[in-house]
Amino acid sequence: MKSIKAISAVALVATLTLAGCSSGANGGDAGGDVTIEFQTGFAVDDGEMTLMKELVSEFEASNQGVTIDLIAAGTDYESDMKVRLAAGTAPDIWNTHGWSLLRYSEFLLPLEDQPWADDVIDSLDETMRNDAGEIFALPTNIDISGLIYNADVLEAAGVDPYGIESWDDFDDAADAVNSDTVSPIYQGGKPLAGALADRVVSGTFDDDDLAEMLDGSFVTPAYEEMLDLVQDWGDSGYFNPDYSSASRDDMAKALAQGQAAFMYGPSLLFDNAWSFNPDANLGFMPIPTTTGAPRYLVGGERTAFGISNKTENPDEAKAFIAFLAENDTALAAASTSPPGLTTATMELGKLQPSFEKWMTEEEVPVLPYFDRVYLPNGSWESMQVTTDVVITGQGTPAQATEQMKSTYDSLRGQSE
Amino acid sequence: MTTAPLKPSRGLRRSATRGGGYVNLLYLPALVLFAVFMIYPLISGIGLAFTNWNGYSEARSFVGFDNFARLFSDPVFATAVRNTFIFGIGCTIIQQVFGLGLAIALDKPLRGRSTVRAIVYLPVLVSPIIMGTMYYLLLQYNDGAFNDVVVAFGGERMAWLADSSMAIAIIVAVNSLQFMGISMIIYLAGLQSIPEMYYDAASLDGATTWQQFRYVTVPLLQPAFATSIVLNLIGGLKLFDVIKILTNGGPGYSTQSVSTLISTTYFDSQSAGYASAMGVALFAIIIVITIIMNKVLGSRKVEA
Repeated sequence: MKSIKAISAVALVATLTLAGCSSGANGGDAGGDVTIEFQTGFAVDDGEMTLMKELVSEFEASNQGVTIDLIAAGTDYESDMKVRLAAGTAPDIWNTHGWSLLRYSEFLLPLEDQPWADDVIDSLDETMRNDAGEIFALPTNIDISGLIYNADVLEAAGVDPYGIESWDDFDDAADAVNSDTVSPIYQGGKPLAGALADRVVSGTFDDDDLAEMLDGSFVTPAYEEMLDLVQDWGDSGYFNPDYSSASRDDMAKALAQGQAAFMYGPSLLFDNAWSFNPDANLGFMPIPTTTGAPRYLVGGERTAFGISNKTENPDEAKAFIAFLAENDTALAAASTSPPGLTTATMELGKLQPSFEKWMTEEEVPVLPYFDRVYLPNGSWESMQVTTDVVITGQGTPAQATEQMKSTYDSLRGQSE
Repeated sequence: MTTAPLKPSRGLRRSATRGGGYVNLLYLPALVLFAVFMIYPLISGIGLAFTNWNGYSEARSFVGFDNFARLFSDPVFATAVRNTFIFGIGCTIIQQVFGLGLAIALDKPLRGRSTVRAIVYLPVLVSPIIMGTMYYLLLQYNDGAFNDVVVAFGGERMAWLADSSMAIAIIVAVNSLQFMGISMIIYLAGLQSIPEMYYDAASLDGATTWQQFRYVTVPLLQPAFATSIVLNLIGGLKLFDVIKILTNGGPGYSTQSVSTLISTTYFDSQSAGYASAMGVALFAIIIVITIIMNKVLGSRKVEA
């Protein structure tokens, strides 16, 4: 009796603790008529989702017998996609959100023979095409961003955003705006501490450092220099007091309501902020460097759609993707971002002045997101947490950098 | 006087045998479901711990015990293990103290005791995700009720979850307050199974209330202690939802439990093999503690 109890106890404890650590392998897409499962990656109320519903209706009307099963994303899109890939139940088409090459290419059809493939803008080549020139997704827009600011807050403090050319200039501006009601840098620790690091870090690495990173050697001094900057901002009281609990919505609201001077994050924050206050006077500026290199913006793949290499209906899926390419102007405008194809027209609304200033007049270089090129796939979480460690004073830049190096080494080892 | 043990008649034995076979058939479906959804994932998870799988790719290699060796040099895992013990032991102690206290108070014939029992137990029925979200909203820096109270009394707003020690204490408190109802129910059942005659006899011998509690109630509650402590300990050691909602393991890694670290390592850091090794380690930790607790608590069992 005792042994039965013991075995039962062991089995119960074991299953309760380990039930989540397994992978399954059941495959197979639903058969039957031509139905394309399309995992959009958009929230139900996204502007892009609203437009996509209209486009799907239009496509279905002109392609009788083809149904596009349009699916909105849950709260944890990336994890959901990983589980579906592991289980062999990938959708026919899905949003690759920046990872069409590094993460998803082994599951996607190469699409360089598609009519739109030669129209993909050149700046995406580094992160979306492999050495053989293959491309695995249609980029409907690109994410270009820099240091986001509220122009009215800066103006009230006498700060000219176009005059911030170095980190010393930035510190002067931060000191000028810092008050009980305005945080110089408003950042949400849980969602976007890593976004800060991912944007600033390109300015502390010179070309030799970057080459070393690509060769497999983590350049500790350059990474630590970035975290030193972050620590200095924390010591100077630049971060918002609710940094630990602030959500992405809190960031957007603070930006919209003039409680934030600067912040780091995706261009999606602009749309979110304008939903709180349509009159908010917002813009972005290039990020200073410490290496003597010119200021830069960061950018890369944002919304992009790839086709599963296991799809039973590749022709219909390709036709739908080609249809989306024809409508890229509208898709990009719905996301307030530049289009991913040279054939589309840029309609950026309130962000147009910032783009014209930095992209057209100043021709500021657009660098790829650091983690997508120089860090192994899977490093984002560590980048996020190690930055948080420094901002919250849980560790020093040296300790956080050591942790980041450990992640870099282990993930590179895992992928080799 | 000695009495010979009663032997069942042949007819009774046949009936019991047939009944046993029937019962076996009844639990077979449950056993199959248990094997498919629990045992298979368990074995599969242990197998993954010996690979370098990233969690989604078709490629994976056997790496032997590398993942287990890494556990011993990983400061983040060490922090998570330390926190896991704090969550497990802290929640267990608080739930026993409050659960037993409430059970004793509500075992007495008070007016409205059924209502109070229901109120104490109701949070158990709420999903920990929802409970965590409610507390998260209360603890927010801006618009959080706790800070509104602080400001109303002339204080300054606090970032309640910014300090790791404070955040850990809050997590323990939230989880303990939600689930103390389970301990209360277990202790109530235990108290109601103690025959009144023991207390009568103790009173006649002149025992005080404290002496009755110490020498009658506590020994006869040993089975309830064993059940409640082991259940609460396992719950605390596996704590996940509340941490995910309140701190997501932060600031930094400072409030990670092994369970939340497994989730982060598996999905976000894309190291499913290493995450599985953490799962095996947590499994071993809980097994050892459960066996020890069963031994310790079982040895003190007293028959009523």
